[in-house]
Amino acid sequence: MAGRSGRMEPELEPRAGRRLFSPAELRAARTRDRKVPQHSHGQKDFIPDSSEEQAERLHRCREEHWQLLAEERVERLGSLVTAEWKPLEGIVELKSPAGKFWHTMGFTEHGKQCLLPEEALYLLECVFSHLKRLGYIVLRFCPSAVPSQYERQLNLDSYCKSSGKRHHKRKRSSSPWLQGKKAKASGNPPESEGTPEKASDSCGGPSHPASEGSCLSEKSKESDPASGEGESAQVPTDAVQLGKLPSCPQSQAGDYGKAAGDSCSGTHLPRWDFTRIAFPNMASDCPHTFLPQPDERLLPENVAGREADATRWRKLVNQKREKLSRKEREQRERESRYKSSVNADREVRRCSNWQEYKELLKQRSQRRAGRRPSHLWDQPVTPLVKPYQVASAAAVLQQISVLQPSHILDGASRLQEDMEGMKIDFSVYQADAVANFKKNNPGKPYARMCVRRFDEQIPSLRAVKQLTYQSEDVPVVFALVDNGDIAFYSFKEFKLPVDVYH
Amino acid sequence: MGHCWRERGGLFGATFSSPNPCPPTSNGMKGRGQSCPPSQSHSPPLLKTKPMGIEKSSTASCRSAMIQIHVLEGAALVWSAEDAREIRERFRLVGTLVGALTRKPRQNARLGLPLQLLPEEARLLAELGAAVLVRRTETQPPAEGEELTQASLVEAYQRELEESYQEQQRLAGAERGALLAQLAERIAQGRARRREQRGEMPDTVEDSGLLDSPFVLPRGSMMVQLPTARWRPGRVEQVDWTSPSADWPHAGRPAHEARYRVFRELWGRGYYLSGGSKFGGDFLVYPGDPLRFHAHYIALCCPPEAPLPLHALVAATRLGTSVKKTLLLCSPGAGGALAFTSLQWSGLQ
Repeated sequence: MAGRSGRMEPELEPRAGRRLFSPAELRAARTRDRKVPQHSHGQKDFIPDSSEEQAERLHRCREEHWQLLAEERVERLGSLVTAEWKPLEGIVELKSPAGKFWHTMGFTEHGKQCLLPEEALYLLECVFSHLKRLGYIVLRFCPSAVPSQYERQLNLDSYCKSSGKRHHKRKRSSSPWLQGKKAKASGNPPESEGTPEKASDSCGGPSHPASEGSCLSEKSKESDPASGEGESAQVPTDAVQLGKLPSCPQSQAGDYGKAAGDSCSGTHLPRWDFTRIAFPNMASDCPHTFLPQPDERLLPENVAGREADATRWRKLVNQKREKLSRKEREQRERESRYKSSVNADREVRRCSNWQEYKELLKQRSQRRAGRRPSHLWDQPVTPLVKPYQVASAAAVLQQISVLQPSHILDGASRLQEDMEGMKIDFSVYQADAVANFKKNNPGKPYARMCVRRFDEQIPSLRAVKQLTYQSEDVPVVFALVDNGDIAFYSFKEFKLPVDVYH
Repeated sequence: MGHCWRERGGLFGATFSSPNPCPPTSNGMKGRGQSCPPSQSHSPPLLKTKPMGIEKSSTASCRSAMIQIHVLEGAALVWSAEDAREIRERFRLVGTLVGALTRKPRQNARLGLPLQLLPEEARLLAELGAAVLVRRTETQPPAEGEELTQASLVEAYQRELEESYQEQQRLAGAERGALLAQLAERIAQGRARRREQRGEMPDTVEDSGLLDSPFVLPRGSMMVQLPTARWRPGRVEQVDWTSPSADWPHAGRPAHEARYRVFRELWGRGYYLSGGSKFGGDFLVYPGDPLRFHAHYIALCCPPEAPLPLHALVAATRLGTSVKKTLLLCSPGAGGALAFTSLQWSGLQ
């Protein structure tokens, strides 16, 4: 078995396997059987007993098996689409119009129809092709393209998409993955060269998943009179239409690409250069709180601008109930005992002498004792529940439980750094939704898939929390590949049952 | 720290027997209390002890070219149907098909080439000297001169396509001609009848005109062949399976070595083996070709120093019981030989 690398030894000559069909054979292949037979004809045997029948059945199964494998793929030219593989870009560009598969696969780039490699070959990714063959629609996962629950609640995602519709003659879907890739490659270009392919995508904003903030802020930018200097280009009637955004435009999957010159109004698209627009800093570290009256030219008709003083509002910012930790609470309690003045109490002030004051104290302690008898509550060991808490067995169990129920998303929002190399790979849509599936607006997927190898470690709780957070309310499924076998696993939540009818 | 997906184990009420474990009875496990006494009249044969080598292939004579196993990032692939056949029929190695079936690509019930081999299977073939592990040499983007050759390749392909088209057209025309000649009489009769109905004079000259018109095969109806593997394999270089590399990282890994020992031993005894991750084990052990037989054992490799907690053993045995297979624990025993222990639910007997 000697062999030196780098040279084709005679032993490394491939066997004659594949061959070219002659035209006659090609024509003969038209009438080939298209059915796929079963693996084993009939029930399997239990043990080999060297009998003739067993051998015969095995032989038949095997022959059929090899026959199927040795078949070559022959198709009608008319039912094929021509495409070109672009190695540098890693995509496949279609040279002839796409067929039915275009409904669920592919994207448009610079006016040309393209496919991602796995879509084109169907074989590259084991999991991808497995799911596709079962009929699911599988799309690559783009983290910032996920509208958050909040956005969905406010119905912002449909607004973003629909607003772009009115101005485009032809809808083209561009791949968000590609957009992100290009943006990363070209850094942060505030000026877009070539065609701006993102439109009206206020929710796509900056690349962070905390998009609801940016969404609202961008919309308010439009009508915000205090936007200071800005490129006041012609604002088209559809106020939400923005040009290419400067910072990493990883926008939603439901985008409308827009070729240059395709706009029906023919106006020059406004380009907002946010690096040069100065937003006033109204935080507590900055003294500017006075906003002058805006220029009337920037405002729509019938809207009067006025100056504003934000001092009062600033005081109200960040007002929320403080959640103190236990230590802090205890400290507060201790302090309240000696740091507060007795005379602050109105009832105490009403007492005119010591006798009345002592009466008051006695009344108060009696009231308390009525609720908390001293023989129970003044001992080292106190009861676990108070009388008013014992409405039902369930309430009692709740009060005394040691384990608290927790949700997978508890604390997950804090964990977004350092993803431990785990990321979601695909969004999977159900097969029976194909009729309603729109590439521009896929909607909520059926599941999100994370492809891993079977030999790897089970993901830590931290990783699972991170992935679940990224995927919002869509379940995360792990597709484990083991040398050609795929198994799908997911974590399910359930509540431990509580015995309340004891 | 964490647990690997592979880690498992489970045992409950085991009957220990080694090295002749008892495969499950054919009528299945009815209920939980059924045991499998080793001495039953209908008892299946015990674990084979005599080593079996390679089956003699009746059809293939000694081949001069070796099987090529293409490795890529640890995956071993076989692209040729003939190689796949030899691997299965001569070497009793099964592998998994991971490609689309050419006859019907968009279904999952039956897949096609390439055949993906377990790392153990590929290594076994390499050790036996029947196969070499190869990988594609690095492909650079086409250089100046190569672009021209690529263009000329495309041209050559277009020319072949055109020739094929002409030939197919000729064949189609000939077929059509033959068919018309066969039915000529019927066609003429039909024509005459129609003419009579319309009251015209029978005209024989025009009738034969149909056969003379040149037949044009629409371009879209031409059949083309779509190769699903490379014709010319391109430049490949051999990969040394004894030392770890990017494309073959298994060499030297303790987990792989342990598994391979078990694999080799069981294979040597005449069994067919395949991946067992779906059943919570390392391998599935079949008494015959998986096309015709069910697996009897779920083999689990236990490294000697690794702990085997009881709850893990319980889980594994329960799983094996519910799928009617016997759990087989394999680990190096005393004296360097492998020890096999089978576990089965036996109830309270």
